[in-house]
Amino acid sequence: MPETIIRLDGVSKSYRSYARDIDRVLEIITGKSRHQSFNALEPLSLSVASGEVIGVVGKNGAGKSTLLKLLAGTLQTSTGSLSIHGRVSAILELGASFHPEMSGHDNVYLTCAIQGLTRPETDAAYAAIVDFAGIPDFMQRAVKTYSSGMLMRLAFSIATHVNPDILIIDEALSVGDGVFARRSFDRIMEFRKAGKTIFFCSHSLYQVEALCDRVLWLDQGRIKSQGAPARVITGYSEFLQQQAAILAPAEPAAASGAAPVVAVATTHAGVPQVLNVSVRVDGRLAKVHTLQSCQNLVEVDIKFRAAANLPMPSIGVVILGGDGRYIASAGTLNDGITLHTGSDHSGSITLRFPDFPLLKGCYVLEVYLLCEQGLHIYERVRQVAELNVEQHSLELGIVSLAHHWLAH
Amino acid sequence: MNLLLRLGRLCFDSVCVPLGAPLRHASLVRMLVKREIAARTSGTLLGKLWPLVQPGLQVLGFWFMFAVVYDMRSRGGPSFLQYLLLGMLPWLCLSEVLSRSTGLFREFSVLFARSTFPLEVLPSVVLVIPGIVYSTALVLTTGWMLGVVAALKAVLVIPLLLLWCLPLLLLCAVIGLFVRDFGQVLPFLLTLLMYLTPILYFPDMLPERARAWMWLNPLADWMAVIHGALTDTVVPINSVFRLAGLWLLLLLPGWLLYRRTLLHVRELL
Repeated sequence: MPETIIRLDGVSKSYRSYARDIDRVLEIITGKSRHQSFNALEPLSLSVASGEVIGVVGKNGAGKSTLLKLLAGTLQTSTGSLSIHGRVSAILELGASFHPEMSGHDNVYLTCAIQGLTRPETDAAYAAIVDFAGIPDFMQRAVKTYSSGMLMRLAFSIATHVNPDILIIDEALSVGDGVFARRSFDRIMEFRKAGKTIFFCSHSLYQVEALCDRVLWLDQGRIKSQGAPARVITGYSEFLQQQAAILAPAEPAAASGAAPVVAVATTHAGVPQVLNVSVRVDGRLAKVHTLQSCQNLVEVDIKFRAAANLPMPSIGVVILGGDGRYIASAGTLNDGITLHTGSDHSGSITLRFPDFPLLKGCYVLEVYLLCEQGLHIYERVRQVAELNVEQHSLELGIVSLAHHWLAH
Repeated sequence: MNLLLRLGRLCFDSVCVPLGAPLRHASLVRMLVKREIAARTSGTLLGKLWPLVQPGLQVLGFWFMFAVVYDMRSRGGPSFLQYLLLGMLPWLCLSEVLSRSTGLFREFSVLFARSTFPLEVLPSVVLVIPGIVYSTALVLTTGWMLGVVAALKAVLVIPLLLLWCLPLLLLCAVIGLFVRDFGQVLPFLLTLLMYLTPILYFPDMLPERARAWMWLNPLADWMAVIHGALTDTVVPINSVFRLAGLWLLLLLPGWLLYRRTLLHVRELL
């Protein structure tokens, strides 16, 4: 049985609120409480085994960041005991402790020292940090001369080369863009393969479900649910849908622009890219379509370019409802389809929805170009087309399922 | 008995935790010192020499004013330059440490607000550079003026002075965090204290009535002890006791307030 690497017993975090500034000073001098507490995290008990990948989901203000900061050691618990066996590294606010006047070299040593590494340990990790960040010629320059991309690369490299036993990731599975985003994603996947414990907090429920062994759903500072990703994510998605319906049933955003073919220009050298996307209904190309439920053929044409030095990517198409929730999706990885490219590494594929089965409503299509594992997103093309579905029948709901009636 | 044990433990912690931090976090303290030198000297012509040149220039300025302009001379004791240097270097060290301590938490908030920075190293970081700079300057100056034996004694002066001012440093850091005006007022108070202390003038130049009140000024005690020890004259034992008593009196309140403040700083800044 794997050893417990993190244990929280009744851990809570409350922030102090003082009616007057002087009350805080008086509390420090007298040692008597003069504050009101705002609980960001209610008493929480949790055991995490070594090698577990834990996803944390919840709305803004649910206590996710507070929990991660407690684990990272940047906040102190208000009550309870928190024991962590191993070194923690957090990808929370990259580069926050960098000093602009110091060189990249010295900032590596400073950040590693803050992380608790000794000088020999930092010496041993230094070459790998510089190599991964890919900025060896800049290491003797003051970091104030770095671009934001270089800063992020160096900070990420440090965070993932201090040999942590526990990695804490807030929101992004990859940082930077283009080639480095892919490399940073691979680096995190290496931690997963190496059996390191990972805490991953994200609004990307797809990634949380795909990556994690267990998911914690936090709501108002409490664990609302925890367990198998599929179960918790389903519950959380339903909760979000209810919340969205209560707050404001939004109208679908109009597909931007009128061009029927979405040409994608935001490309990064060295990584796969979407070249263009178009949507046809019964062969007619347009950006905004009006169609009849269960009567028309919808085709999504996607042209892409793979990268010579990376595995063949995968493609996903998502249909969103007017309120932004996912209605349906199709992915080449999930369907066991392998993409093919020509000598120039470009290729194309068409996704077909015969007798488009969604019932009346307004839908928007999105296209994703993903890594071979379907986790890392190279490119996301939003609002590829808008489908306004009309319906003559009296069916209720959002989809017309294939069905048969058997009379007895 | 328990109370005594707790008090003993607190006294022990109040010295060992802040002063032991450089040993426990040697690599971090070294990098923070480097960071501070970079922040102070980046872009300057003299670069890393500035921490040494700056006190030298201050001493030169005071020497010019009091020795040349006012033609200050001793009445049969040490030369004025010797007297000035032996008192001024420790004073500059103390003044620099206390001035900086008022902004201690704000200065390092970038580091500790968003990382696992060990807060207990902060006092030692403030002490390291003045400690090294003024110890070196005092030992060299004393050796040049009074010989090797005096120089060996001078090795102890700045470390003892810094140890003595540790409770003041902790208190100034706490007050400076909550009362920002304190950082503006303290330099004035320190200047006033410098003029009330026989650093720029010989103690016997003070009127008899003023000398009778000197026991209220701990820095006057420090000057008497330093001059007595380094020039092989009398070390006033009363001054030693007064300094030790004041240190013990301030140590526990300083440490307790500082320790309680540590629980608030990450929320506050």
